[in-house]
Amino acid sequence: MIFVPVAVVVQGNKLFSHLGQETASVGVVVLKDILPLALIPPIFLYVGSTLSGWEIGAEDPIHLSKNIVLLVSLCYFVALFAGFIGLAVLLRWMAPTYDASLELSRHLTVVATVATPMVIGSLAHLYPHIFVNMLVIIPALIWSMFLLYRGVPVLLDTTPQQGMLMASSLIAIVLVATVTLLGVTVVLWTHGFGPSLGL
Amino acid sequence: MNVLDIHRKLEENSGLLIFGILFVSAIGGLVQVLPSVFQDELVTPTTETQPYGALELLGRDVYIREGCSTCHSQQVRPLLAEVKRYGPFSSAGESAYDRPFLWGSKRTGPDLHRVGAKYSDAWQRVHLVDPRSVVPNSIMPAYPWLAERAADPRENIQTRMRRLGMLGHPYTDEQIAQAPDLVSDKTELDAIVAYLGVLGDAAGSAGGMAH
Amino acid sequence: MDTRFRTVSRSLAGEILMVDSRTYNDRVVTVLVVLSLVWAIAGMAAGVFIAAELVWPTIDMGQEWLSYGRLRTLHTNGVIFGFGVSALMATAFYSVQRTSHVTLFAPRLAWFCCIAWNLAVLAGGISLLAGWTSGKEYAELEWPFDIGITIVWLSFAVVFFGTIVKRKVKAIYVSNWFYGALIIVIAMLHVVNSMAIPVSIDKSYSMFAGEQDAIVQWWYGHNAVGFLLTGGFLGMLYYFLPKQADRPIWSYRLSIVAFWAFTYSYIWAGPHHLHYNAIPEWVQSLGMVMSIILLAPSWATMVNGVMTVAGAWEKLKTDPAMKFIVLALAFYGLATFEGPMLSIKSVNVVSHFTDWTVGHVHSGALGWNAMITFGTFYFLVPRLVGAELYSVRLANIHFWLALAGTMLYILSMWGAGVSQGLLWLSLDELGELSYSFRDIMASMVPYYALRFVAGAVFLSGAILMFYNFVKTMENRTTVTRRIPEVRTARSAVEAVA
Repeated sequence: MIFVPVAVVVQGNKLFSHLGQETASVGVVVLKDILPLALIPPIFLYVGSTLSGWEIGAEDPIHLSKNIVLLVSLCYFVALFAGFIGLAVLLRWMAPTYDASLELSRHLTVVATVATPMVIGSLAHLYPHIFVNMLVIIPALIWSMFLLYRGVPVLLDTTPQQGMLMASSLIAIVLVATVTLLGVTVVLWTHGFGPSLGL
Repeated sequence: MNVLDIHRKLEENSGLLIFGILFVSAIGGLVQVLPSVFQDELVTPTTETQPYGALELLGRDVYIREGCSTCHSQQVRPLLAEVKRYGPFSSAGESAYDRPFLWGSKRTGPDLHRVGAKYSDAWQRVHLVDPRSVVPNSIMPAYPWLAERAADPRENIQTRMRRLGMLGHPYTDEQIAQAPDLVSDKTELDAIVAYLGVLGDAAGSAGGMAH
Repeated sequence: MDTRFRTVSRSLAGEILMVDSRTYNDRVVTVLVVLSLVWAIAGMAAGVFIAAELVWPTIDMGQEWLSYGRLRTLHTNGVIFGFGVSALMATAFYSVQRTSHVTLFAPRLAWFCCIAWNLAVLAGGISLLAGWTSGKEYAELEWPFDIGITIVWLSFAVVFFGTIVKRKVKAIYVSNWFYGALIIVIAMLHVVNSMAIPVSIDKSYSMFAGEQDAIVQWWYGHNAVGFLLTGGFLGMLYYFLPKQADRPIWSYRLSIVAFWAFTYSYIWAGPHHLHYNAIPEWVQSLGMVMSIILLAPSWATMVNGVMTVAGAWEKLKTDPAMKFIVLALAFYGLATFEGPMLSIKSVNVVSHFTDWTVGHVHSGALGWNAMITFGTFYFLVPRLVGAELYSVRLANIHFWLALAGTMLYILSMWGAGVSQGLLWLSLDELGELSYSFRDIMASMVPYYALRFVAGAVFLSGAILMFYNFVKTMENRTTVTRRIPEVRTARSAVEAVA
C-alpha cells in the first residue's frame, strides 16, 4: 500500500479488486491518499517555476516573483484538493442511479486511484514548458481514463454495465468542467484579470 | 386540444411535418439573413474600394484555388492589438466586390487584409515560390508551379469580367476590352502578387482605433 | 464466358431491382455502410497527412495536388460528405423502413442515391485536388457538382419521405423527424448558399459578395454542422440507442420539445462565426444569444439518451457498440456546451481564428459523430450479414484508440488555441505587441506534432474497425428480413420498442 501510486499505474486492474476489499473511513482516505495527491503537483510547480521561468513558447521564459509562484501553487493545491473532493461527492451523488456503493470513502478511493497517473505526470512541472507538460500529462490522462473504466465497477461494487455508464457520465462532467474552466479563465482575462490584452 | 394532441397531428401527417420543419427552420434565415442580403448600405463599397483589375482578378482566383483562405484571414478585427499588428480594422464596404468573401476563419498564417503595403512584390514572389527562404520557421507550403503557368491560359478574362458585370461590378467596356493585353504575357505568380499588392488599398483612415 | 457473364449480371441486376414488399430492403444499406467506411479511412488519412504538413511543410514535394490548401478540402469533404452522409443515408434507409414497417419506397432510386452520391463525392474529391473550388467552406464543390448533388439529395428526399408516406405505423417516429429535418434544411441551405454565376465548367462567382456572402455562408456553414452533423446523427441516436438498449426513449415529451427548439434555434447561430467581423452588431448579438439558448435543446437530447440507457442497464452489454454510443453522448455534451461558450463574445475574442475552434470541431467530429457512427456500425454490421462480429477484442482496442486519439486532439488544440489567442493580443508594459506573429507561429508546431499523433492514433483505430468488418462480412451477403406485422400501437414510440 505504500507504493500505491506506482502500483496503480503499473498493476492497474489487479489492484482494484484488492482495494475493493478494503474499508477505510473518509478521513483516512482523505489524509492518506487525497491530501498527498493534491500536494504533489503544486510542490513540483513551485520548484520548477522558481528554478527557471515558464516557457510559453514565444521568446524568453517568463519569470514570476517567488511570492506570486507561491500564491499560484497554493491556489493550485486548493483547486486540486477541492476538485478531488468535489468529484468524489459528485460520484456519490450519482451512485443511487447506478446501484453503486453509497460509501463516500470508496468514491474518494476511485478519485485517488484515477488521479494518480496524472499526479505522477505532474513531475513535468519541474520543467516548466507548456508543451512538455502536455506531452507527459495527456498520456497520463488517457491512462487515468482507462483506470476509471476498470476501477468504477469493482471499487463501487456495481455491475459492469452500470459501471461503464457511470464512468462515461463522469468523463462527460469532467470534460464540461474543464472547458468551463477554460472559458471562465478567458472571460476573466478579457475583463482585465490577468495579462494585459489589447482589446 | 393540448400541445401533445396538436403534435400528434404533425406526427401522423408527413405533409404537415415537412411543412412544419421547413417553416420553423426558415424563420431564422428570414429574420437574420434576408435583411442583410437586401440591405444595400451593407455592401456599398467605400469610396476607396475599386473592383479588381484584370490581373488582380486572376490572382484572386488563384488565391481561392490554392485554398489560401484556409490559413490566412482577411479581416482585421476592431481590437487594439490587431490594429497594431495589421493596420486599420476591416470595414464591410471594402469587400463589396469580393465574390466569394475571403475573410477566412483561421489564422495559421497572418491576416493579409493589409498585406499590400507591408511587403514588396519582389518579397512576395520569393516567398510564394519558397516561403522558408525568407521566413525560416515557416510552415507554409511552397507554390513553385505558379511561376510556370500562364495567368489566363483559357483566355477567359473578359468572360470573368462580364459575369461580374452582370452581378453589378462597374467595369467599363474599355476596361474589359483592354483586359487581355494586360494579362497575356503574365504568369499566375504575377497575378497573385498583383492581387496581394492591392490588399489594403481601400483601407483608408476609417479603421483606426481611438485610443 | 459471355453467357455466364450475362446470367450473373442479370441475376445481380435482378437482385438489386427485385422488390419484395414483404422484406426490408437492406442491401443498399450494407453498400452504403461499406462506402461510408471507405470514406472514413480515406478522409481521415487525408486529415493525418495535412496534419503532418503543418509540421513538415515540404512533404507535399512541390506537388499541387498534395498541397495543404487543396488536400484540406479533400479531408473535409471526404469525412463530412463521404463518411458522414453515407452513414446517414445508410442508417436513414435502415431505420425509416423499420419505423414505418414497410420496405423502402422507390428502391431503384435508393440505389441511385447510394451510387450517385458516392460517385459525386469521388469525382468531387478529384475536382478539389485539381483546384476546382468555390472558396466557401464546406461548400467548395463547384457548380456542376452543386447541381448534381441537388438531384441526388432530392432523390434521397423522395425515397425517405416516400417510405414515410407508405408507412403502416400511424405516427412518425422521432428519429424520422431528425432525418427529415436533415434532408429539408440541408436542401434549403445548399440551394441558397450555392447560388453563383458560372464562368467555365470549373469556375463560378458567388451571387453574394463581401459581408452578405459572409452572413449567407455562415448561415449555411453553421447549419450544415447543425442539421447534418448534429441533427442527422441525433436521428441515428434516437433509433439505434433504444434498439441497443432494448427500451424506448426515456421521454417522449422531451423529444418533442427538444426537436422543435433545436430546429428553430440552430438556424440563428451562424453569426457566431463572425464576431468582431464587419457585420452589423445586432446580427452578432442575436447569433450569440441564440447560440447560448441552443445549449438547452442540445442537452435535452443528451439527457433523453442518457436516461434511456441508465434505465435499461440490465439489457446493456458492455460490448463496444454500447461503449461507443454512451461515450459519444459524453462528447456530444462537451461539444454542445463548448459551442455556446465559444459563441460568447468575451471568449470568442480570444478563440476566433485560433486552433481552439479546430479543437472544438474535432471534439464534435471525433467524439460525437465518429464515435456514434462506430457504435451504430458495430451494432448494425453483424445484424446486416447475420453473423457475430469477427473480433470483440479488436473492437475494444478500437474504443481505446478512439478515446485516446480524441483526447489528445482536443487537448493539444486547446493548448495551441488558447496560447495563440492570448499571445496575439498580448501587450507589454509599454502598450506594444509582446510577440511577433512568426514567433507565436513557431511555438505552435509542437502542438501540431501532438495533433498529428492524435489523428494517426484515431485513424489506426478506424483501420482496425474496417478490418474487423471485412472479416465479419467475408463470404456473407445481406440477410433478407421479413417485415413483422404491426401490432396496434398507440404511438410510434411503442411500435419501435
